[in-house]
Amino acid sequence: MSAPTGTKVPPTVKGRADLALNDEFLRKAVKFTTERLRNGKHAATAEHGNWEEWRERGRQIRLHTIAHLDYYLNLFADNARANGVHVHFASTAAEAVKVSLAIAKQVKAKSVVKSKSMVTEELHLNHALEGLGIEAIETDLGEYIIQLAGETPSHIIIPAIHKNRFQIAELLSKEAGETLEADTTILAGFVRKKLREKFLEADIGMTGCNFAIAETGSMVLFENEGNARMVTTVPKTQITLMGMERIIPSWSDLEVMATLLPRSATGQKLTMYMSGITGPRRDVDADGPDEMHIIIVDNGRSNQLGDPEFQELLNCIRCGACLNACPVYRHIGGHAYGGTYSGPIGAVLTPALQKNVGDWDDIANASSLCGACYEACPVKIPLHEMLIYLRRRKQEGGHRDLAEAGGMKGFSAIMGNSGRFKGVVKLGKLGQRLVSRNGEIRLKLGPLKGWNSYRVTPSLPKQSFRDKWGTLEEELRHGLNELSPDARSRMEQLVRSREQDGGGHGHG
Amino acid sequence: MAEQTHEQWLEELATDSRRKQEAFMNDIAHKLKRPRVLEKPVHPFRGAPDFWQEYEWTLEERTQRFTANFHSNGGHVSHLSTMDEAKQFIKEKATELGARYIIRQNQPELAEMKLEEALPNVSLSVWNSNENENWKARAAEADFGVVVADYAAAYTSSIAVLSGKDKGRSVSLLPTVLIVIIPLERLKTKLGEILIPLDEAGRESLPAGIHFISGPSRSSDIENDLTIGVHGPGVVYALLVG
Repeated sequence: MSAPTGTKVPPTVKGRADLALNDEFLRKAVKFTTERLRNGKHAATAEHGNWEEWRERGRQIRLHTIAHLDYYLNLFADNARANGVHVHFASTAAEAVKVSLAIAKQVKAKSVVKSKSMVTEELHLNHALEGLGIEAIETDLGEYIIQLAGETPSHIIIPAIHKNRFQIAELLSKEAGETLEADTTILAGFVRKKLREKFLEADIGMTGCNFAIAETGSMVLFENEGNARMVTTVPKTQITLMGMERIIPSWSDLEVMATLLPRSATGQKLTMYMSGITGPRRDVDADGPDEMHIIIVDNGRSNQLGDPEFQELLNCIRCGACLNACPVYRHIGGHAYGGTYSGPIGAVLTPALQKNVGDWDDIANASSLCGACYEACPVKIPLHEMLIYLRRRKQEGGHRDLAEAGGMKGFSAIMGNSGRFKGVVKLGKLGQRLVSRNGEIRLKLGPLKGWNSYRVTPSLPKQSFRDKWGTLEEELRHGLNELSPDARSRMEQLVRSREQDGGGHGHG
Repeated sequence: MAEQTHEQWLEELATDSRRKQEAFMNDIAHKLKRPRVLEKPVHPFRGAPDFWQEYEWTLEERTQRFTANFHSNGGHVSHLSTMDEAKQFIKEKATELGARYIIRQNQPELAEMKLEEALPNVSLSVWNSNENENWKARAAEADFGVVVADYAAAYTSSIAVLSGKDKGRSVSLLPTVLIVIIPLERLKTKLGEILIPLDEAGRESLPAGIHFISGPSRSSDIENDLTIGVHGPGVVYALLVG
């Protein structure tokens, strides 16, 4: 079972992964869902065609925008303001929370309906709102479920991937005050009715932002349920929290993002709804928010700028394709990563945003560096390489394992000198007689424990490659000197015929 | 101390925001290790790749593809010749499903249809047709919402609806059933044909809400089981007319 609220969460990736690996439902559900999404992506990209060219175009647009972020972000802010939006800048999570709470207090909000926003997860905004006695309601079906459970999302696209319908029925029954059958239609029907009331009475609608269009100051949301449309249509005040890197220059560029994002996330040609919001409602309009705020959040993002190894992290369009492709994520699920963002992108983004490489070092190691994340990424972020950079920085930052460092030093001393190497191998051959059976060592003690828990160490052979080298070398030299008479005459024949031809066409 | 008005409060925030904006942009330039970029940079990769810009289907293909894609998203499509047939369709559906409340956009095409006369037993309201009504509530109680699409794109079966005084965002969102009339001449091949003109129109001509609808509201959040009609309309009829 996944950890309910209040249960102690293990401090290491390994501990959290062990929890996940013990939960059979979680493991199966994550595997099933990620495979479904991955297959959907494969089918959608194959059907669309020229996928590599689209990826490259997406990468170029993101690279260009981030390289000129001061220009485009400034343009966006000016245009959004001209549209009547109240724009705010927050360097830190604390500042973003402060502005959000100030707005909520000013409009005397009693409740906030929220559509999915990873930034608000970063800020732990719900908690802050509740501190003021303001009800914050997640309205994405999956987010609503995990909010009731007091948990955090375990997948960026399917947040409640780790819950089965019986757990969900139990949670929703408690909310309903009556027993609801564990039937998807009934459960979703209850949520529709319940949240409909919440939408209509809420004072503030709060959203994230998939893309912000610099040239017109518009913000764009992709979704399937319609809750983001609710949140931006019904309440009087809208607050949008956006990462400072969400910018694209134009609607023309949105066509490329709209091609890449849904196909990579769920294999859809387009999400059921794509909404471009340009300012609050016009005076003559009868719906849409009276007042609209956009809070532009840094919270560690700008630290990647000018860093040749990590700047491309800002190109991420939050599709989750790298999670679905990652063999490690598919086994341990999202909670094992311990941060807001999980999977390969989370493994790099979390330490990069927080600038505390040392504390998160084990995440960089929870990867086989197979590069599946890079292959899956619609904007070609080299995540597998970034994981190596992280590991290197961890070493350089002094966050190293002393035993490992000592081991490496010893290894270098032995390997650097053939006499020492020979001596150690000899010792090993003597020593292994105690533990080797049929050419295998299965001892799970000392330095062999880690390896032999899941594998078998082969014993050292009686005669090693080095022992055989003298004979091998002898054979090779001998063989080369003495060409067989047959081969020799064949080759001589060849040379003669070539000379007769005048040597015109050597490349037959 | 005098009570601060809401406007004064907003003005204070705006002053703060402008100051912060400068610092924010300077910080970005500093971290990128170059001076601020103040002139529009050359953007060599704007929009979709060239081969895509020329991609186009015939009207027949557009109709077929739109229909197939919308079906696979769980929506319904009918191809009708005239607006009168569309009126008949809505009348039959309203009777069949027992609709009691209908809300429609205040669009001339719909006014000409005279649905009110065709459905005497239905309470039919026209979006924003008087100032004192709570229009969001009218849309929320409606069984049917009826709108005429501004554009549609066949490649993704997406219907574009733009907000305005006479075109509420709620009408395509809050009712249980959504009926969208798409005049065939507004059916394009791909999204870009709708998006690029928004750039050309420019900021000042954009409405507050531009919504692309590609089928009924859906979710797979419970055990990957597809549920239709989570928050938005669960039943969507697209009527291609022409």
